[in-house]
Amino acid sequence: MTALAALWLALGPATAQTGSVQDLLQDQGDLIEQSSRRTIQPAIDAIVASGLERVQPVLQAWQNKALWRDAEGRFWRVIERDGAEILVDVDTGEETGPANTDAMEQIKPNSGIRALIGTALVQFQLTDPEPRRRREALVSITRDPEPELLAPLRASIETEEDADLRARKIRLERLLTMRFGTAEAERVSAIEALSTDTAVEVRAALNPLLATRLEVVPAGATPEGNVARALSPGGERLSMGAAYARLVEEGLAPARPDNSDIRAALEANREAGRVGGVPLGALGDPAVRARAYDALAARGTVPPRVEDGDVEAALGAHDFFGVYVEPSSAVTDAARAAITSIGLRVGAMKGVDIGLDALSLASIYFLAAIGLAVTFGVMGVINMAHGEFIMMGAYTAYLVQQIVPDRTLSLIAALPAAFVVTFAAGVAMERLVIRHLYHRPLETLLATFGISIALQQLAKIIFGTQARPLTAPDWLGGAWILNDVVGISYIRIAIFVLALMFLGFFLFLMKRTRLGLETRAVTQNPGMAGSVGIDPGRVNMLTFGLGSGIAGIAGVAIGLYAKVTSEMGADYIVQSFMTVVVGGVGNIWGTLAGAAMIGGLQKGIEVLNPSNTLAAQTYMIVAVIIFIQFRPRGIIALRGRAAGD
Amino acid sequence: MTGSFLKRNPSVPIMLGALLLVTFLVSILSEAAGGGLSTSFVKTLGMTLCLALAALAMDLVWGYAGILSLGNIAFFALGGYMIGMWLMTARTENIVAESLAGSVIPPTPAEIRDAVGGQIFGVVGSSDFPPIWSLSSSLWAQLALVVLVPSLLALVFGWLAFRSRVTGVYLSILTQAMTLALALYLFQNDSGLRGNNGLSGLQNLPGQGDVPQAQVALWFLWGSAVALGLGYVLCAWVVSGKFGAILRGIRDNEARVRFLGYPVEGFKLAVFTLSAAITGIAGALYYPQAGIVNPAEMMPIASIYLAVWVAIGGRGRLYGAVIGAIVVSLVSSFFTSGQLPDLDLGPLRIVWVDWWLVFLGLSFVAVTLFAPRGLGGLVDLWTHRRRPSRHGADLGPDRGSFREEEAEA
Amino acid sequence: MIRPSTSLAAFLAIGALSAPAMAQDASCPIKVGVLHSLSGTMAISETTLKDTVLMLVEDQNAKGGLLGCELEAVVVDPASDWPLFAEKARELLSVHEVDVIFGNWTSVSRKSVLPVVEELNGLLFYPVQYEGEESSKNVFYTGAAPNQQAIPATDYMIEEMGVEKFALLGTDYVYPRTTNNILEAYLKDQGVADADIFVNYTPFGHSDWSKIVSDVVGLGADGKKVGVISTINGDANIGFYKELAAQGVSAEDIPVIAFSVGEEELSGLDTSNLVGHLAAWNYFQSADGEANEAFVAKWKEKMGEERVTNDPMEAHYIGFNMWAQAVEKAGSTEVDAVREAMYGQTFENLTGSTAEMLPNHHLTKPVLIGEITEDGQFDILTQTDPVPGDAWTDFLPESAVLTSDWKDLGCGMYNTETETCVQTKSNY
Repeated sequence: MTALAALWLALGPATAQTGSVQDLLQDQGDLIEQSSRRTIQPAIDAIVASGLERVQPVLQAWQNKALWRDAEGRFWRVIERDGAEILVDVDTGEETGPANTDAMEQIKPNSGIRALIGTALVQFQLTDPEPRRRREALVSITRDPEPELLAPLRASIETEEDADLRARKIRLERLLTMRFGTAEAERVSAIEALSTDTAVEVRAALNPLLATRLEVVPAGATPEGNVARALSPGGERLSMGAAYARLVEEGLAPARPDNSDIRAALEANREAGRVGGVPLGALGDPAVRARAYDALAARGTVPPRVEDGDVEAALGAHDFFGVYVEPSSAVTDAARAAITSIGLRVGAMKGVDIGLDALSLASIYFLAAIGLAVTFGVMGVINMAHGEFIMMGAYTAYLVQQIVPDRTLSLIAALPAAFVVTFAAGVAMERLVIRHLYHRPLETLLATFGISIALQQLAKIIFGTQARPLTAPDWLGGAWILNDVVGISYIRIAIFVLALMFLGFFLFLMKRTRLGLETRAVTQNPGMAGSVGIDPGRVNMLTFGLGSGIAGIAGVAIGLYAKVTSEMGADYIVQSFMTVVVGGVGNIWGTLAGAAMIGGLQKGIEVLNPSNTLAAQTYMIVAVIIFIQFRPRGIIALRGRAAGD
Repeated sequence: MTGSFLKRNPSVPIMLGALLLVTFLVSILSEAAGGGLSTSFVKTLGMTLCLALAALAMDLVWGYAGILSLGNIAFFALGGYMIGMWLMTARTENIVAESLAGSVIPPTPAEIRDAVGGQIFGVVGSSDFPPIWSLSSSLWAQLALVVLVPSLLALVFGWLAFRSRVTGVYLSILTQAMTLALALYLFQNDSGLRGNNGLSGLQNLPGQGDVPQAQVALWFLWGSAVALGLGYVLCAWVVSGKFGAILRGIRDNEARVRFLGYPVEGFKLAVFTLSAAITGIAGALYYPQAGIVNPAEMMPIASIYLAVWVAIGGRGRLYGAVIGAIVVSLVSSFFTSGQLPDLDLGPLRIVWVDWWLVFLGLSFVAVTLFAPRGLGGLVDLWTHRRRPSRHGADLGPDRGSFREEEAEA
Repeated sequence: MIRPSTSLAAFLAIGALSAPAMAQDASCPIKVGVLHSLSGTMAISETTLKDTVLMLVEDQNAKGGLLGCELEAVVVDPASDWPLFAEKARELLSVHEVDVIFGNWTSVSRKSVLPVVEELNGLLFYPVQYEGEESSKNVFYTGAAPNQQAIPATDYMIEEMGVEKFALLGTDYVYPRTTNNILEAYLKDQGVADADIFVNYTPFGHSDWSKIVSDVVGLGADGKKVGVISTINGDANIGFYKELAAQGVSAEDIPVIAFSVGEEELSGLDTSNLVGHLAAWNYFQSADGEANEAFVAKWKEKMGEERVTNDPMEAHYIGFNMWAQAVEKAGSTEVDAVREAMYGQTFENLTGSTAEMLPNHHLTKPVLIGEITEDGQFDILTQTDPVPGDAWTDFLPESAVLTSDWKDLGCGMYNTETETCVQTKSNY
C-alpha cells in the first residue's frame, strides 16, 4: 500500500483539474462502490452528462470489471497484457506502470448494473468506428429498450455502412417506434412491418401494448378509455373471488370475514364463558359458531357475515371490463392482429421444435439401445451391464481428453478408443460368463446384474463419485437456430447423425458381411450353423463384443451432451430395454420405431404438462407397459416368435 | 393330512422351531427384559425376518412358478406406505388434539383436519389431505389396504401381462418398468405421499408414546416372527399340494401344462397375487421398524436384490429364500460396518466399505455360474440328495427328466 | 432400498461389550459421531464433510482436546440409504455412546434420524441449507434456512437483476418443492403475478434439458425480464448449464441463480460458458480474510491441491467450534447442559463476520451472492450482514404464526396467535 503511494508520488500526480473523469468518479465514489442497481443510475447519468472525452473507455472498463480503486480512493483502469496487470489513468488513458491489485479494490458491477452501463454506452457505441462495439450497443438496446434511445438510434441508421448492422438497426428502430413512437401512424406501420416476425423480442415489444387493467362500473355503464373486453365474474379471465375482492377494494362491497376471522372475533368477544349467548364449549360445531357470530354481528360488535347470495348480488350490480393501458385503439388493434398472426406462426414453430426435440431424444435412446439390439435382440442375451458399457465408453473419452488436450483430436481418438475398450470388455464378459449361461436367460440377467453392480462400484472407486467433465469441441458447442422458437444444439444434431450412421453400419454388417451372415445363421439355428463349419462360439463372442463396442461409442456421445458419472448407465438401462422390447426384438427397424415412440411419447406428455418432467417420464413408462400388453411382440414383430422365447 | 403335510415338508418344524428359539432368546436377552442386547440389534433382527418373509414370497413366484418378478419390492414398499399412512395420521391426530385442547374455543372437525393436514404435509408445503388419505384415520381400513393394494396391483398387472403371454425376461423387464414408474410417481409431491421424504417417524406408535422403543422393537420382533412363521407354513402348504405341482409344471414347461388343460394364466395370477399380498404384509411390518418409507426404497436395484437373495439362498426351496435373505443381509452388514480393517495389497488398498459391492456383484456371478442351487445346495450335501447332472440346463424334459424328489427339496 | 442390517454386525463385532460400555458416562475420550454417507449417491457430497469433521477433530486434539480429554471420531457409513441413517444414528448413540453427531445432507435423511435423536436425547449438527419448517430440541441447524438464502437471493434477482418473471426450476424432491412453495408465496407478496411464475420439476440426474430451456427463453415473449431460480440438484446441473450455453443464453439475458451449485459441483464442469451466472450461499471459497485463507490452506494440505471448500463445510466448521466452546462452558458433554450452553455462543465465521447461535437452534449467517468465474470459483458480488435464521417461514400462512424458542419458551413449534406450544417433539 505504501509502496503504491510512493509510486504515485514519484510519478507525479496528474493534477486534479476541474471536470476530470477522476473527479466525476470521486463525486460518485460512494454510489459506485455500493454497487447496487437501485442506486447506481444517478452516478451513470452524471458521468455520461459530463460530456468528457474519456467517458466511454471508463464506462467500458467499469462494465468489464476492470475499474479498480486504490488505497487513497482514486479510480484506475487496469488492463492485462501478457499476464501482467497495468494501471491506466482514467483521464489521460496513459499507462502508469504495473498494478498492485492486492492493495486495490475491484469494482464489481453485477449484471443488472452492467446492463445499465451498457444502455448508457449506447449513444457512444452506436457510431463507434468498431463494428463490434456497434453490435454491443444494439444488444444493449434489445435487452433494455428505453424511449430515449430511439433518437440516437434513428440518427445512426443513416451513417451505418455495415449491411447486416444496418438491417438490425432498422428492425430495432421499428421495435422502439411501436412502443415509444409519438405519432399513431408510425407506430401502426411499425407494428404491421413486424407482424410476421416470431422473434421473442418482437413479441416482447408487442405484448406490453396489450396490457389491460380491470375496471368496475355500475351495471349497464361503459368505462372510459380503450376498452378491450367485458369480463364476467367466474369466467376464465376473472374468478368470482378476484372480482369480489376488487369490489371490496373499491369500497363497493363489505369485506367477507373468513373462518379464522370469525374464530378470532369469537375469541375476542367472549364474556363469562359465553360468546354471543352461546357457551364456549359448544363452539366445536360450525353451525353453532355461525349463530354465535351472527349474534355478535346483530349487536354491531363485528361486521356481519357475507353469504354467497350477497356476493352474487354485489357482483350482479356491477360490470367488469378489461381496459387497455394503451389509449390508442388503432395501435391496440394493430398489435392484436399482429399478435394473432405471430401466435399462429409461433404455434406451428413450437410444433416443429417439439418434433426436433422428440427426434433428438429418440436418437439418444436409439443410440443407447442399439448395442442392446445386437446383444438382446439378435443373440437373446439379457445384458444388465449394458449401461455400464455406456459408462465405460464415456470414461474412456474422459481419459483420452486428459491426455489429448485438443478437443477435436481427442474426440476423434476417443470414439475408436471407446469402441476398443468396451469391445474387449464385452468379449471378456462373453467368454467368462455369458457363454456358460446361454439358454438360461433369467440367470444371465442375474449374473450380468452382478457385473453391473461391480463395474459401477469400480468406476466409483477409480474415478470418484464426482461427475467428470467431458467437453465437446467448440464447433459442437453452439446451436443451430432457425429462429427464436426453433433451434437445436449441434451436439444433438451430431448424436442424430451418429445414430443414423450406426443404423447404416448395423444394416451393412448384418446384411452384407460374412460376420452378419454367420450371426444370423447362429441365431436361427446354432446346431445347423455349426455343422456347416461356422464356429458358433466365435460368432457369439464377436457379436457380443460388437454390441458392447457400440454401447461404448454411445457412451461418448451421451457423456458429451449430458454428464459422465458412474451412474449414467443405470439411467438408461430400463429405457434401453423398453426401447428394444417395444420396438420388437430382433429387428433393427423395430428398435428405431421403439426409440421414436418412446421419445415422441415423452415429449408429447411433457408438452401437456410442462411443469413436471418427472410426471412425463412416469406416464411414458405406464403407456409403454400398457402398449406391450396389447402388442407383446413389439411394434415390428418377427413372425414365428413368441414374447419370451 | 397334517402328518403328510409335515412329511412332505420336513423343513417346516425345523424352521418354526428355529424361529421360536431365536425369538425367545432375543426376548429374554433384550434391553426391555433387562438383558444386554441393544435395541438396534432387536430392530435389525425384526427387519431381517420381514425381509426373509419378502424373500419367501419372491421364491414362491420365481422359484416355484418361474416368474421372475422384479416388482415385488414395489409391493413391499406399498405395504409400508399403507400402514405408514395410518401411523402418521393417528399419531398426528393425538398431537393436534393435545395442542388444540388448550385453546379457548373448541376446534371444529374441519379445523382439526386442517391442523393434522398441516402437520403431515407442511414439509411438502401443503396442508390439505389428498383423497388417497381419506381412510387413513382408520387402522382397520389401512390394514386391509396393506393386503388389498399390493394384491390389486398384482392382479391387474398380472392379468394384463399373463393374458398377453408375456413371460420370461420380458415379464421381468415389464415388472421392473412398473416398479420404476411407481417409484417415479411417488417421487412427485403431487402424488400426495410426501414425495421423496416419504412417510417418516413410523417407529413411534400412536398412543404409545410412553412405551420405550426397546419394548416396541420387541413387539415388532414378535409380530415379524409370527408373520414369517405363518407365511412359511402357508407357502409350504401351497407348494406341497397339487397346486404346487402345477406351478412347477408351469415353471418347467408352460406349454405342456396348458396342453394338459390347466388354465395356466389363472394359476400364475393366483400365485402372483398371493405373493404380492404376503410381500405387502412383510413391508407393513418392516417399515415401522425402519422408521421411514420413501420412493428410494423401490428404485430398480432394490428389486433385483430380492431376487439375488433367493438365488444365493437357493430358489425353488422355501428355506433357501429365508437363509439367503438372512445370510446376505448379515454378510453385507459385516462388510459395510466400517469396522473391518482395510486390506493393503501394495498398490491397491481394499477399503471394505467401497469394495464390498464389487465383491457382492462378483459373487452373484459366481453363484449363478458355479452354484445354481445356492446355499440350499449345502443342505443337499448333508441329506445326500443328488441331482442328475444337467450341464447347466434348466429342469425339463429335454435332458434328463425331472424327478419328484428334486421338487420336494 | 432394502439394505443390510448393519447394527447386527456391529453387534457381532462389539457384542456383549455394549453392556459394560453403558456403565460409564461422559468420560474420556469424548466421542464425536460422524454420520455422513461414504457410499451411494450422496457420497459425492458427504464424504467431503466427513473429512472436514475429521480435520476439525484433529485440530481440536492438537489444541489439547476438550475438558482435558482427547476427542475421538466415530465414523459410520449410512450408505445414502435413508432408513439406514436412523439405524446408524441409534448405533452411534446407544452402542458407541457418542456425545455429539455431525451428519446428514438430505432432508429426508434428517427426517429419518430425528425420531432416534429425540428418543435417545442425542445432539445433532446439521450443516446443509434446507427448507425450514422444522425445529427439534436435539438438532442444531448450522446451514441456511430459506430466509438466509432463498429469500435474499430472490430479492437480489428482483432488485439488482431487475427480474420481473421467474422460472423456478428444481429437482423433484422436498427441498426444491418446499423452497419453491415459499418463494411463490413470497413473490406474490412482492406483487409478481401468478402468470409470471413458471415452475418445473425434473428427476434426479435429468439430462434432456432442451425443451425446458426453450420454454424459459419463450417466457420473455411478454416483454418482461426473465430470471431463473434454480434448485436443481447435483449432476443434473451439468446438462442444464450445457444446454443454456448451447442455446446461447447468457447471464445478461436470463440470469440464473442457483442454491445448490457450489465449488464442488462446478469442479465437474467446464465453466467458461457459465461465467456470470449466480449462486447464493453463506460462504464461498473466494471469501477474503485470514481465517478463510488458513482454513482453505489446511484443507488443501490435507486433501490435495485440487480440492475446494464449500458452504456446508463452513457450517460444520462453525458448528464444531461452537460445540467445543459450549462444552467448555458447560464443563461437561452432557447433552442438555451443552444445549443450554449453545444459546448465544458466537464464533467468527470464515467470511469476516460473527455467527451467533439463536434460541431457535439456527445461526445468524451473512448472505453472499457470487458470480461464477472461469476458474470454477465464485466472484462475490455482495455480502449482507448476518441474518438470523428463521425455522418457520413467514411467507406460508400456516407457519407464519409459528415460532421456535428453546431457551425461554422451551418449544420448537409455538403458535404465537393462540400462544400455545403445538409440540415439543417433532412430528417428522
